[in-house]
Amino acid sequence: MAISTTDTAPVTTASAPAKQAPPPRWRSREALTAWLFILPSLIGFLIFTAGPVVAAGVISLLNWNLFSAPTWAGLHNFARLGPDPTFWSALGSTAYFTLVSVPLTILVSLALALLLNQGVKRIAIFRSLLLLPYATITVAVAFVWIWLYIPHDGLVNAVLGWFGINGPAWLISDTWAMPALILMSVWKSFGFGMVVFLAGLQAIPQQLYESARVDGTSPWKSFRHITLPMLSPALFFVIVTSVIGSFQVFDQALIMTNGGPGTRTTTLVMYIYRTGFENYDQGYAAAQSLVLFAFIILITAAQFMFQRKLVHYDN
Amino acid sequence: MSTNLTRRSVLQLGGLAGIAFAAGCSSGPPAGAATWAMWSSSAAEKKVWEDFGKYVEQQLGVKSVATLTPSSGYPTKLDLQLVSGTASLVTALNGTLIPTYAARGAHRPLDDLIAADPDFKLDDFYETSRKISGFNNKTYAIGFDVAPTVMYYNKDLLKKQGVPLPSRTEPMSWATFRDLAKQLTKPGEQYGFTCAPAIDDLVSWIYCAGGNVMSADASRSALGDPEAMEALQFVIDLFVKDKVTPPIKNLVTESSLSNFMQGNVAFMQNGPWQVVNARKAKFDWDIIPFPAGANGSTPRVSGSSFAIPSGVREGAELDLAWKLLKTLTSTGALDIYAKAGRNNPARLSAGSAFQPPPDNLGIVQDILAGKIAGGHAFDVTTNWNQVKQLLGQDLPRTFLGQVSVPEAINGLTPRLDVLMRQHLDTVRQATARKG
Repeated sequence: MAISTTDTAPVTTASAPAKQAPPPRWRSREALTAWLFILPSLIGFLIFTAGPVVAAGVISLLNWNLFSAPTWAGLHNFARLGPDPTFWSALGSTAYFTLVSVPLTILVSLALALLLNQGVKRIAIFRSLLLLPYATITVAVAFVWIWLYIPHDGLVNAVLGWFGINGPAWLISDTWAMPALILMSVWKSFGFGMVVFLAGLQAIPQQLYESARVDGTSPWKSFRHITLPMLSPALFFVIVTSVIGSFQVFDQALIMTNGGPGTRTTTLVMYIYRTGFENYDQGYAAAQSLVLFAFIILITAAQFMFQRKLVHYDN
Repeated sequence: MSTNLTRRSVLQLGGLAGIAFAAGCSSGPPAGAATWAMWSSSAAEKKVWEDFGKYVEQQLGVKSVATLTPSSGYPTKLDLQLVSGTASLVTALNGTLIPTYAARGAHRPLDDLIAADPDFKLDDFYETSRKISGFNNKTYAIGFDVAPTVMYYNKDLLKKQGVPLPSRTEPMSWATFRDLAKQLTKPGEQYGFTCAPAIDDLVSWIYCAGGNVMSADASRSALGDPEAMEALQFVIDLFVKDKVTPPIKNLVTESSLSNFMQGNVAFMQNGPWQVVNARKAKFDWDIIPFPAGANGSTPRVSGSSFAIPSGVREGAELDLAWKLLKTLTSTGALDIYAKAGRNNPARLSAGSAFQPPPDNLGIVQDILAGKIAGGHAFDVTTNWNQVKQLLGQDLPRTFLGQVSVPEAINGLTPRLDVLMRQHLDTVRQATARKG
């Protein structure tokens, strides 16, 4: 207890004991316990997330081939981005992948979630089965899809053949390599969105639908005016995470096409990896990483701005 | 039984766990151990390196600790170890990466160690191995295998088609080879030839035509020169025009060995390092010298070597590293390597240990010794990964018929020229650093 002993201090009396001031909120027992629990995550975040971001910022200003001492490059590594055709081609491929794969994944996820939400018996079994592609490691899935895409003997072209369609040589075609990659990625990742949407759908109060039914509202109108607004937080979450994930696409493209044919499927992360770890140009790779980081931040910020108008929170 | 844990006891337990974790992390090889790094992707390879380890322990009387990594991840792991100062005393290197590492100061030159060691005879290594292991007139590594590209052929298939078996010593001409490949092709059923749709295989044809990837002074790309263009067009025609090759299904999984092992391909371009795998074939096969172009039969000669990282500086550590490197590349160790059939050893005195089958395996040593046909050390730059990446983007499209050879080369040349200039800058910087 802090009692002032100066002359100007107010005198306390025995009959009226001083009221003990509560410790600041950050020093309270609960707060300290909370900090203790947060600490491991915080240390991990500082070392493995914030640290590398800061390090990338520093490295982007250096010429560094890993083995020799780095030298100062200033903004030269950023200036190199402009005239580098592979960087822009990789950015274009990544944007193409994102613009097509994210809406497709969301549509498939939402459709399946809506189907499963129709009182399907043993829903847990279906949910688990549909989540399997998401839970399977990408390397294994990619190899399976390579075989599915084989021009003459692969399952995809065999199925197309049943309908009289002569399927392309998917992974070596200028036109079809990226769509093939997107198709595989949609199959691989729809399970995540589906589970989130299913949880969102099951949280919508049934009385809203019952009232709509009493009013004679059509199923489409119910979907538009009840389901979609109530599901918008889940939809927003899936869109944000899918866009971020799509901008970081790497492993499936590396395994299935190695970025080809030409640079048709060379994604930005693949180019960054090659620049940094195969070409030993760490400074330039770090500059590319920061640009990718900036793109993701900008796009995510834009999404958060839009969500104020489009996302409906019940509370 | 329930136990109430106090905050203090939780912290104590956490502290103990931390100490245990730290102790686990800090356990490295024992002091004075002979540590070496190598790629290893199969049980058979692992067995060879285990035998190497026993040989090292027997020869040096110290513990051998080998860090084995699958070949695909080996360069990245080695880079991280070199940067973090945790690399082994001796590290294996693919010949194409030796200039890359040497120019960046990742490995030390060995000339001072060789000069101070009268027991070590560099002359016992094939000249091409020595060329591959050097950079900027310095020796940066000592070879453990070296071999020219040869032509494998399916004896059973040729006999079945009534085609006389090719000469075991005289390389056939390109024209003869092309005619033979066409004659042996039955579309969709049987094919005349297979190779990888990549620069690694194309370069043998380019050397045989008298061309190269880069000019003699490495200042510009030479792929647009007539000799190289002739070679590129010849091979691409085999794929696109003559269609004597199995159709490419996927560039990532395309494997000439896998095509050949199907038993319906007459000729496969590959190195003797595939002998160990080809021995599993269910048909009779052999090897012959590479077809001769305008410059003769001078296919690429590739090899791998052992080097000492720059972090190993002086004293007992450097002494042990040199002894270890000598042991790993000694005739005794390379005999183990060759007897296991992995590849042709880099030493002349260990060559006889690489035994047939195939019947004509002896041509590998004859080519390296200059007795028949010839070979051309694989010329690479200090940024070979970048050159390879660039070529890997655009050249496969010619194999698919998506672009013509002149279109591909015209598109590639300005970017290749930039890489050549960067290579010369790197060489200049390395030379200045040395001075």
